[in-house]
Amino acid sequence: MTFKRYMKAGALLAVAALGLTACGGDATPANTPAAPAESTPAAAPETTPAEETTPAESGDVVEIEYLHRLPDNEGMQLVADVAAKWNAENPNIQVTTTKFAGEAGDMITKLEADANAGTAPCLAQLAYGEVPEMFTKGLVMDVTQEAAKYRDNFGGAFGMMAPGGVSVGLPQDNGPLVYYYNEVAFKELGIEVPTNIDEFLAAAKTAAAAGKYIVNFTAQDTRDWLSAQAAAAGDAWYTAESDQWVVNTNGEGTQRVAAMWQDLLDNKATATHNRWDDTYTAAIGDGSLIGTIGAAWEAAFMLDGSPTAGQWKVALLPDFGAGQMSGPWGGSGVAVMKGCDHPAEAMEFNNWFNTQLDALASQGLVVAALGDVETPAAIAEAFGGQDVYSVLAEANAVMSDKFAYIPGWSTVGDPVGVAAAAAVDGSGKVADIFTAAGTASVKALKDAGLPVKE
Amino acid sequence: MTTHIQGAAPQAVAAAAPPGRRRRRSKDRHEALTGWAFLAPFVLLFVLVFVIPIVVSVIESFYKRVPSGGGLFGGGEPVRTFIGMENYAEVASSSTFWLGIARVVGYAAIQIPIMIGVALALALLLDSFLVRRPGFFRLSYFLPYAIPGVVAAMVWLYLYSPGMSPLLPYLPDGFSFMSPGVILASMANMTTWTYTGYNMLIFLAALQSIPGDLYEAARIDGASGWQITTKIKIPLVRGAALLAVLLSIIGTIQLFNEPAIMYTANPWMGENYTPMMMAYNNRNLISGMGFSSAVSVMMALIAGLLAVVYALLQRKAD
Repeated sequence: MTFKRYMKAGALLAVAALGLTACGGDATPANTPAAPAESTPAAAPETTPAEETTPAESGDVVEIEYLHRLPDNEGMQLVADVAAKWNAENPNIQVTTTKFAGEAGDMITKLEADANAGTAPCLAQLAYGEVPEMFTKGLVMDVTQEAAKYRDNFGGAFGMMAPGGVSVGLPQDNGPLVYYYNEVAFKELGIEVPTNIDEFLAAAKTAAAAGKYIVNFTAQDTRDWLSAQAAAAGDAWYTAESDQWVVNTNGEGTQRVAAMWQDLLDNKATATHNRWDDTYTAAIGDGSLIGTIGAAWEAAFMLDGSPTAGQWKVALLPDFGAGQMSGPWGGSGVAVMKGCDHPAEAMEFNNWFNTQLDALASQGLVVAALGDVETPAAIAEAFGGQDVYSVLAEANAVMSDKFAYIPGWSTVGDPVGVAAAAAVDGSGKVADIFTAAGTASVKALKDAGLPVKE
Repeated sequence: MTTHIQGAAPQAVAAAAPPGRRRRRSKDRHEALTGWAFLAPFVLLFVLVFVIPIVVSVIESFYKRVPSGGGLFGGGEPVRTFIGMENYAEVASSSTFWLGIARVVGYAAIQIPIMIGVALALALLLDSFLVRRPGFFRLSYFLPYAIPGVVAAMVWLYLYSPGMSPLLPYLPDGFSFMSPGVILASMANMTTWTYTGYNMLIFLAALQSIPGDLYEAARIDGASGWQITTKIKIPLVRGAALLAVLLSIIGTIQLFNEPAIMYTANPWMGENYTPMMMAYNNRNLISGMGFSSAVSVMMALIAGLLAVVYALLQRKAD
């Protein structure tokens, strides 16, 4: 009750309203264009990227800020150290890196507030699902010409950073779904790694009869986790038709995925821990959860400190009825933010950084840039010496390239989570999750003022 | 009064006043300056973190960000557009918003009377001579309020979480603190724990400002301790009760910390569980923060309305 809370609420709104953030002050003044307090970045003078580029005269030092949220854990090559290498080789382009300390999903909030205050960093990490809405909001810069120079260094993910064909940065990593399983427990139960839905259901029921689960259904982050499975089943939720969005979250592939999970839930053949709850980690550690469908980037930390580390292996997803495929959960790129004074130099570093294969691999990423990487020792150890990265690369190679994101994707997560929780406790069906996703998608597009076909 | 005197003897005043008046004026001015200087830190912060945000919110609630280009992604150069009452219409027609309001109003209807009742009882107890070390108890009742809201909510989250809760093993099987039917009560428990001590202090301050003569007179008239409590103390803290309830209503309508923390473990609640969560979680729409500003303003109006209604009812009852 009370004024204290009232004030706190006021302060909260104040932050949102004024677009101030704690980190607002750390930009170098030279990089800070004066932005009118209330205007959106769109109000900034319109210039083509070429005009905004001010090539550094020899002797002038260009300062670039880069905000990321890579893990930077012990044993990894730290982002700041990698950037220091660049700084030593490029005295005229000095890069400062900052690790975003909050939750991943909150980073775009900070970036928007910074942009409104005119203190946005030049380079920022964005998830592929966030790129379209950051573009529609007018917060990222058109760097199509610069990006084109580096295109050959990257695979298909290049397009993930180019909504509507306008490049706003370069891709960093991909998050293909894979199947993680506890090989020791599988052998004890006498089950094989399932390769299609039927085998998957059968194996899950066999394990459930022995009190173990070969998979987990999460009501947390369900949006990305299930949409990636729909993609692996051959669907694309968002397509374009005569310059209008077409939303279809209930295609054949999606229905197959829905039926599979409904079967697993009905037969209590799946665990239902929230992905980021402690109970999930505990279930992996105590051996009750012996398999999970997860993103490639989970390999870097999912077994950290777990008693079952070393027993696990990674495999491709079962065939969800559209051939051996995978779908994207996350994956990020590095975008150039509007207001950046030196986009050409920023892109030069962007390209260099994102082609440092070993450094990025040490952060547990499936690197988007082309080239081979070796499995970092720590990850190999957690997976019983397996060459994890070759499997992840295989998954990456069969990842659906049809699945695109809409502006407003961030608002789809909550209704999907609500429906997923209902599916878990039995008050709803798995199919409702996809209906909720469709409704929320159409609402998001309409709210954004974008054309939707209904 | 001054003008009257001046009118009565203008010449005398004119002759005698100037030096004295000037002195007084400069003294007045000096005092005023000192007053403002003392007030300045408050005014400055109040304007910065209170007035400006409110004004900006109200302005923003009439605007929307609209794409200026065509195509699937709107061209990437949106413009801020005045849309009149559209955001308010959207809030007013949103069943999610009204469901949230219903939740917090229902919550307030049950939680506030319990909390105020307990706070009053504790205050009376501490004010009586039954308690040995009132200072110690006063501090310990107040202590929960000193714990930051989010921290407290997280502590409770652990106490409530299945698998971690030290309480659940002693409760009937299948009971959950976080099931849809129970969670409001669980949150009410958190709020009561936090704010009872605070409200108790309001009552205690009111009780201690009652002049001791009254008790003495009552005792001479043969009143018992119980009669003094019910006939003198409780009627005389009515004003404090009004204040405590009003603050509680305003606070409860803005229920945020508890549900926001609970939501992290219970996705079924949805991010629009209370109106305050709705305002917070929609601040980042592509259309800008107009919608969430409109939610905030509506919420303020409803809280104000409820407070006024309560104050009027109370006055009528008196």
